[in-house]
Amino acid sequence: VEYISGKVFFTTCSDLNMLKKLKSAERLFLLITKRLPFTVSSPSKGKILSEMQRLVNDDPGSWLEAVSHWKSLLEHDAKKDRPAEGGANPRKRKVEDEVIVAKKSKVEEMQVLEENHGAWEPEKHAEGPQKQRGSITRTESPQAKGFHSGGEKVGDLTFRVSCRCSGAVGKAFPAQEVGRVLGIALMKQFGWQADLRNPGLEIFMHLNDIYSVVGIPMFRVPLASRTYIRTAGLRSTIAWAMASLAEIKAGAFVLDPMCGLGTILLEAANEWPDVYYVGADVSKSQLHGAYDNLKAASLADKIELLQVSVVELPLPSESVDIIISDIPFGKKFKLGNDIKIILQEMERVLCVDGTIVLLLSEDHHRRLGGCRDVAPLNCKGSHSTDPEVKTLLSAEDKVGTSETMSSAHGASNQEDLYQVSPFGSLVPVECFRVSLGKTDAFICKYKKAGAPQPPGESPRLHEAS
Amino acid sequence: MKLLTHNLLSSHVRGVGTRGFPLRLQATEVRVNPVEFNPEFVARMIPKVEWAALVEAANTLHLAEIPTEPAEGYEHDEAFLRKMHHVLLEVDVLEGTLQCPESGRLFPITRGIPNMLLNEEETET
Repeated sequence: VEYISGKVFFTTCSDLNMLKKLKSAERLFLLITKRLPFTVSSPSKGKILSEMQRLVNDDPGSWLEAVSHWKSLLEHDAKKDRPAEGGANPRKRKVEDEVIVAKKSKVEEMQVLEENHGAWEPEKHAEGPQKQRGSITRTESPQAKGFHSGGEKVGDLTFRVSCRCSGAVGKAFPAQEVGRVLGIALMKQFGWQADLRNPGLEIFMHLNDIYSVVGIPMFRVPLASRTYIRTAGLRSTIAWAMASLAEIKAGAFVLDPMCGLGTILLEAANEWPDVYYVGADVSKSQLHGAYDNLKAASLADKIELLQVSVVELPLPSESVDIIISDIPFGKKFKLGNDIKIILQEMERVLCVDGTIVLLLSEDHHRRLGGCRDVAPLNCKGSHSTDPEVKTLLSAEDKVGTSETMSSAHGASNQEDLYQVSPFGSLVPVECFRVSLGKTDAFICKYKKAGAPQPPGESPRLHEAS
Repeated sequence: MKLLTHNLLSSHVRGVGTRGFPLRLQATEVRVNPVEFNPEFVARMIPKVEWAALVEAANTLHLAEIPTEPAEGYEHDEAFLRKMHHVLLEVDVLEGTLQCPESGRLFPITRGIPNMLLNEEETET
């Protein structure tokens, strides 16, 4: 398992059904190749484009291998849908154990912070608009559909290249151009046919200043679009990650005081059912939307809704075990009250040792003391993603780790986390920077300390409760 | 609104403090939603419940009588847990009101959602 900004690479022998259960990944890809970023310093475009062609030409073996893995995974999946084929061997679904498949899952939320990547910022800014399809000359190839079970007729494949470029590469080349170059190289090398409309195979390429990755998407629909969520407010992947950080235990009382359409509670209730969930919001229309969502997910009996203001929760002090909330950033929904007042009220209703997990905008995060003013990016780095990725993977039956990477994000920067406490008894525990596409945000976790502070804790934790 | 939720809600009208509990419940429409019985879950909820408030609420709704307090060893008493499961989780107040016992302020319940919003003069701060 290895992470870079926006991606997690791992190997597994689980089958597709298991992989479908990955909760914190936006999409899942089969990795074809991964290399260092292209250096765009050279003025000659042609040189770089030919380097891109070499992605294909240098190592055709890895392409063919990936494609055959892809096929065998799909075939396996298809077989399962047909129940009891001849009744022969019901247990053959444990996918080929000897095959180690490298998968690329794009985990939007766990943007690992590597140290001093100057390239980080530009990449984020550029993220918006380049989701174009690489366009390739259209060739209708009706004969080329369907992969024959023999699997070796690679020449019959139809494909499409989708490309995303950001950072320096993105500035130098439009994604379409890159897509075209790659497409032509593929046609030459393997004799595959391009088909934009209905390709048998989709090749997805992501180039930026940190890496160049090429992969095959495993599912047409992103993993993040849940069958049980009808209208999502927040991204389901983020919602799930927040819920998993909250360490929800059976029998707990979990409150989202600004639940909006209830995405976080839906994710949580789906994963941790034996829990009493309450969602509150000031807005009647949001609550009705949430109610419809709960109904659609048939979770209406797990989650109660209240119309309430966050700063005046009609709950006794120390009555709630866990608070999870996406605090409005002030863009789509205005925040009528100061973030600090909100936290005070949360602190009041939270019981001792209770947990708060919040999604905060950069602005709010800063107001709450941030991680540190000097180096705002210094939340925990790779260390923090560890538990997350583990939970993510433990959904599968086994995980074979193979790749290692020399990249320098080994050291965790947690030394300063405990120095600033936002309020009273709330002690910051963890903080992760996440990318929401255009904006960045922070998932912050706090715990409420007991009245007698353990020795060694900063005395500042006592102030104003 | 389930009775479990009612058991938790407390009036937060200014100056009421801890006397804002329990809210007086009045129901004009009640529905019973079948919910899958999970004995462990119910047993975990029991210690969190303010018992007197629950008894009072169950009485206003004319529900099956519940004991004045949970008996010793209730975790293993399935009949008791089933009864509590019904009272706490299956009974759903769709329309009605909650009244602050101290100030008399009424909070409406519509479509199962209590509206606990206060207007400005009533707020605590």
